[in-house]
Amino acid sequence: MDNSVVISTPPHVKSKRTTKGIMLDVIIALIPAAVMAIVYFRLNAFVLEITSVLAAVATEFVYFFIANKGFSDKCSHAGEVCKKWWKQFDYTSVVTGLILALILPPTAQWYQVLIGAIFSIAIVKMVFGGTGKNLVNPAATGRIFMFISFSITAYTACAIGPIGNGSIIFTGATNLAGLLPAAGSGANAGSYVSLLDLFLGTGVAGCIGETCTLALIVGYLYLVVRRVIKWWQPLLFIVIASFLSVCLAAIGSKSFEINLFLDFAMSGGLMFAAIFMATDYVTSPKGVYGQIVYYVALGVLTAVLRYLTKIEVVSFVIMIMNLLVPLIDTYIVRKPFGYKKVKKQKEGK
Amino acid sequence: MKAIKGKPFFAGIHVHDKKSLACGIAKEIMPAPEEVYISLSQSLGKPAAVCVEKGKKVKEGELIAKADGAISSDVFASIAGEVVDIKPLTGANGGTETYIVIKGDGSGEKAYLPPLTDPDAAAIKQRIKDCGIVGLGGAGFPAAVKVAPRTPVDTLILNGAECEPYLTCDHRLMLENTDEIARGARLIAKALGVDKIIIGIEANKPDCIAAFEKYDDIQPVILKKQYPMGSEKHLIYVTTGRKVGIGKLPADSGVVVQNVATAFAVCEAVEKGKPLYERILTVSGGAVKQPKNLWVKVGTPVKAIVDYCGGESEPPRKVVQGGPMTGLALATYDVYTHKTTSGVLLMTAKEAAAEEPTPCLNCGMCADVCPMHLMPMQTAFYSAAGNFEAAAKLGNTLACIECGACEYTCPAKRPLIQAIRKTKAYMRNKGVPAPAVKPVDQKGSSAPTVPLTEDGKAEKPKDTEKNEKETKNG
Repeated sequence: MDNSVVISTPPHVKSKRTTKGIMLDVIIALIPAAVMAIVYFRLNAFVLEITSVLAAVATEFVYFFIANKGFSDKCSHAGEVCKKWWKQFDYTSVVTGLILALILPPTAQWYQVLIGAIFSIAIVKMVFGGTGKNLVNPAATGRIFMFISFSITAYTACAIGPIGNGSIIFTGATNLAGLLPAAGSGANAGSYVSLLDLFLGTGVAGCIGETCTLALIVGYLYLVVRRVIKWWQPLLFIVIASFLSVCLAAIGSKSFEINLFLDFAMSGGLMFAAIFMATDYVTSPKGVYGQIVYYVALGVLTAVLRYLTKIEVVSFVIMIMNLLVPLIDTYIVRKPFGYKKVKKQKEGK
Repeated sequence: MKAIKGKPFFAGIHVHDKKSLACGIAKEIMPAPEEVYISLSQSLGKPAAVCVEKGKKVKEGELIAKADGAISSDVFASIAGEVVDIKPLTGANGGTETYIVIKGDGSGEKAYLPPLTDPDAAAIKQRIKDCGIVGLGGAGFPAAVKVAPRTPVDTLILNGAECEPYLTCDHRLMLENTDEIARGARLIAKALGVDKIIIGIEANKPDCIAAFEKYDDIQPVILKKQYPMGSEKHLIYVTTGRKVGIGKLPADSGVVVQNVATAFAVCEAVEKGKPLYERILTVSGGAVKQPKNLWVKVGTPVKAIVDYCGGESEPPRKVVQGGPMTGLALATYDVYTHKTTSGVLLMTAKEAAAEEPTPCLNCGMCADVCPMHLMPMQTAFYSAAGNFEAAAKLGNTLACIECGACEYTCPAKRPLIQAIRKTKAYMRNKGVPAPAVKPVDQKGSSAPTVPLTEDGKAEKPKDTEKNEKETKNG
């Protein structure tokens, strides 16, 4: 034995899974949605995706470079910083960039997504300490930032919910008139998107990555099979949000129509957000019980706020719940194995 | 009795067990080394008190150090020869232990106790104490204390799970010495006054399960291959459905757990009068030439063991004493086996993980796999910030059995066990809560890389709380 042996605390064997691997899995799961976005919305979607991802990665690099004083010294130091960056690069910014692009309407401009991506990475993530330290989901917050900043193009008329006689689901950005049967004002009561269309995303208005439900389900199944997320997490969110929406719709129209359940589930950004944004590790609770509380609260808030505001609120809901996560983590602590037995024994005596 | 299936417990991990390296290799008796270095700290509790002086001739199996206190065990000469030195040396964990050095004279003279025929319960208990038998699973809790529980018990569970990867010594022992283990189990059961004997064996050892089916009074239970199945609390839950409370002993739930190797030692102690001075251990890993299951004297230098197995086939990245999940990484071969050493592993760079930790993602996987249902990430987070009280409270750290499942599964490769041990050491030094067993003062830091706690007190290598005494290699 020479001096090259490593000494550390046990365990001395570790699983093959790494942060990089998980992030690659998420990217792979996002690919169907990204491809379908390009299929349906053509060049515009492609430009948005590329711009967003590149801007996100570049922002992270520049921030890292400045933070590690890459400019201060000579060339060799800058090279070292670059190497260091590459060593710690874990694809999280790629995921953030891709998600941010996929939750934008096709009318968004490249410079808007550029600014949004820079905001997401620099302000939401890096300022708080980078990977694992951000308080809120960078992509959701970037979307909200863009919603507020460029309110005209991004998300004016993303209305959701039964409008008019209750049998119509209308989701979309208005200025895709040529593409959309449901285009026009929200009062256009005659337009109806069939379930099959919602499932495949054909002719549905909406954000570029959110329209094709099939692609999202493929991504969901991949994540579940790879054990990146737990199968019940997105389902809890989607089922509760959709079911409550049906109930709330029943209050307005005085008729309980359970067949609207699937329309609610597949409309708008709910499914995408539930699968890819709510399940973000960093901003969701750590324990199982905390997670249940979190996903139920997400579902309830989504349904209620959608009903009250008539706009797509999923990003806002995710940001609100993200901010409550530290509270959930502090107050919902698991009981250790064998804890209950102690109580029972005392009662028995 | 026909084997029945045990139920799985919630959480746990699936580790590639790598047992095929050594599980097919029959047990082999290693020739006695020229010199043995026998530590006085062979079990939990206080080190034994020396009762020989320099220059004394001893026989194999002769008492050389007497148990000091209730939780301590006798130490015996493992070879016949002369005591050449009694000196403090650096132990495997980096702390200082007192060693008795015996130079062999090659005579092989033995000094056994008289064999017992048909002993009663009290005689068995006395014999277990006189032969210095400790729990051979890895934690080394004196067996004499275990067979005299304060609360009535109704079941004896033999731990044949051997859930640690690589280790195959219990497997070989169960296969080759089935009868002795069964007889030893009956003796322990008699000492305890219980009728029900259960042996839990992991499903990856079907040959052992089949071997134990032939006894009418022993119930084999097939355990799901799930780490840490050999943890005392989980074994009890899986085989009997009882849960042992936090800070409680298995005896409080009416159960006593003994390792199969301990049962074998009890059988030899009673039937042959042989004190515990040798044991079986596995030499394995990708970097050792011939993996072996060896019958080794206590105090044999690790160097001699590695040389006997053909030496290194390639430079190892990590040398581990014990199992890879809970064992101790060695810095040098100049350490010596104890009663509790269950393996020596030479791991290649490919096998032994040594990745740099990346930032915690809060993914919660550590909590998902924690068999004790704790929150290791909370412990790591707060202890890194120096807030050990919050770490212990939010992570429930004091209930941790240090099985290593969390760190194994962590995608960010965070040093969770190190954080947990640091938190535990801090809480122990603060006296919250009062430890069940007093810390052994002699032992030094947990591993050479583990920093000392703030007030400069050295950390202990193993937590001495009773509730985790047999988590080790199953």
